Amino acid sequence: MTTLNELIILLQAGFVQRAFIIGIIVAILSSILSVFIVLKRVSLIGDGLSHTAFGGLALGYYLDIVPLWVAAVVVVLGSLGITRAIRSTRISSDAAVAVFLQLGLSAGIVLISLARGFGINIESLLFGSILLVTLDQIIIASVILVAVLSVIFLFYKELVYTTFSESQAKASGVRTWFFDYLVAALAGVVVIAAIPIVGVLLISALLVLPALTSLQVSKSFKQTILLSPVFGIASAFLGLFVSLILDIASGATIVLTAMGIFVIILGTKRIWTR
Amino acid sequence: MGANQPIVELENVRVDYPGGVQAIDKVNLEIFEKDLVGLIGPNGAGKSTLIGVILGLIKPRHGSVRLFGEALKPRNLRLIGYVPQKAQLIDNNFPATVDETVLLGRVPGAGLFHRLNKEDHLRADEAMKILGIDDLKERRIGQLSGGQSQRVFIAKAIVDRPRLLILDEPTTGVDSQSKSEFYDTLSRLNRDLGITILLSSHDIGIVTKLANKIACINRTLYFCGPTSEFETSSALSKLYDYPAGLLIHDHP
Repeated sequence: MTTLNELIILLQAGFVQRAFIIGIIVAILSSILSVFIVLKRVSLIGDGLSHTAFGGLALGYYLDIVPLWVAAVVVVLGSLGITRAIRSTRISSDAAVAVFLQLGLSAGIVLISLARGFGINIESLLFGSILLVTLDQIIIASVILVAVLSVIFLFYKELVYTTFSESQAKASGVRTWFFDYLVAALAGVVVIAAIPIVGVLLISALLVLPALTSLQVSKSFKQTILLSPVFGIASAFLGLFVSLILDIASGATIVLTAMGIFVIILGTKRIWTR
Repeated sequence: MGANQPIVELENVRVDYPGGVQAIDKVNLEIFEKDLVGLIGPNGAGKSTLIGVILGLIKPRHGSVRLFGEALKPRNLRLIGYVPQKAQLIDNNFPATVDETVLLGRVPGAGLFHRLNKEDHLRADEAMKILGIDDLKERRIGQLSGGQSQRVFIAKAIVDRPRLLILDEPTTGVDSQSKSEFYDTLSRLNRDLGITILLSSHDIGIVTKLANKIACINRTLYFCGPTSEFETSSALSKLYDYPAGLLIHDHP
């Protein structure tokens, strides 16, 4: 366990400050998007996309091209494919996501085994390495934050209507298919920004838990979307802090903190309404 | 568009279920401005399918659909208010308030990249007043009774002042007191606001009292014409294989 003195020194270190900054950026991104994902009942999409991103990163390492960019292209294409499959009436949506998840994971493992010896740190891909975040990654995440929030702001009312009821939105002339693809593509972009923090295996938790917690206490849609990032940021901040004190894995601690906040809010609500 | 031109025209429409089984066939239907059309038929007769075709939710295998004198386009759909069946209305856990739900009816008309403004909120308030739900404004839709939630969805459907209001089995799961208030409201919307209405329902007795026109469907349209002619026709007994007098009964 870290002593208070060590903690103070740690908090002054650039790499720790960068970790907090990117943690908060990713928390805002994932928690706002999580509201649409949870209410559209496509909570597993984060899993499908993160494993597709894993395949993309592995492809980038294998081809020796900037892995993050290759992963970004693969994940956006993957998000379109997953949405196409989810919208298809031929297979169920959970099966569609499972197919992409397994494809991304298995292709990634094969490519990494082919590229053995090229210095890939699989552990950091799978679990994230928030304390190793560079300034470049913060800049990329900030650009993604501004871009994603702008898109959500521009299409906010259509996104809300499509999430509320696809059939009603469609019947009144809203091009709902576009907004389904848009949410999936945004989720793909958020996955790319979040992999350095929590890694491939845990990102889907951040695309679900903040909204779930917010839904327990919100009285309106507006409140849900405003409170979700509050819970997301609290999870990232507290989780990172606890991981520094206990000297344990940061990404997993952030996810466990988000889970803890959800359970506490849910329990308090149960007792309150009894 | 001429005054006597129908606002909905279905010509020889056929829809097949996946697997090729016919859902509806040879359906010809015309709805004119200010009509209140009752769409009746047994369960599985194709009422919702027919509505889905008008709304562009279901693509017909054959035939043509024209709305407001034009082929079906998103901008024509914006002139239609739609209240789906209860089961499709909404997930009760969706966190929207009554106010937020009614406002969604303004989304298609506002256009892309435009935020909803004060005018939209005023219109939503107006629609809630017409339906008598202005005191429920802040309530979450999942906490409402069947009758209240039905009113919310009608307010949402009329908030953009549609020319045509389509309601698919709107009184399923609604108590009889709310039902009778609901039919009064529909009659008011048609008479006072001049909104054309297509109402699919099982309440044959009430529908024949309310509607000036009846469309009677069981895979194909058995009858489509004025209510007075319908009551003396044999369409209903053909449809249900039962004497018509026993079926046209009033149970509000």
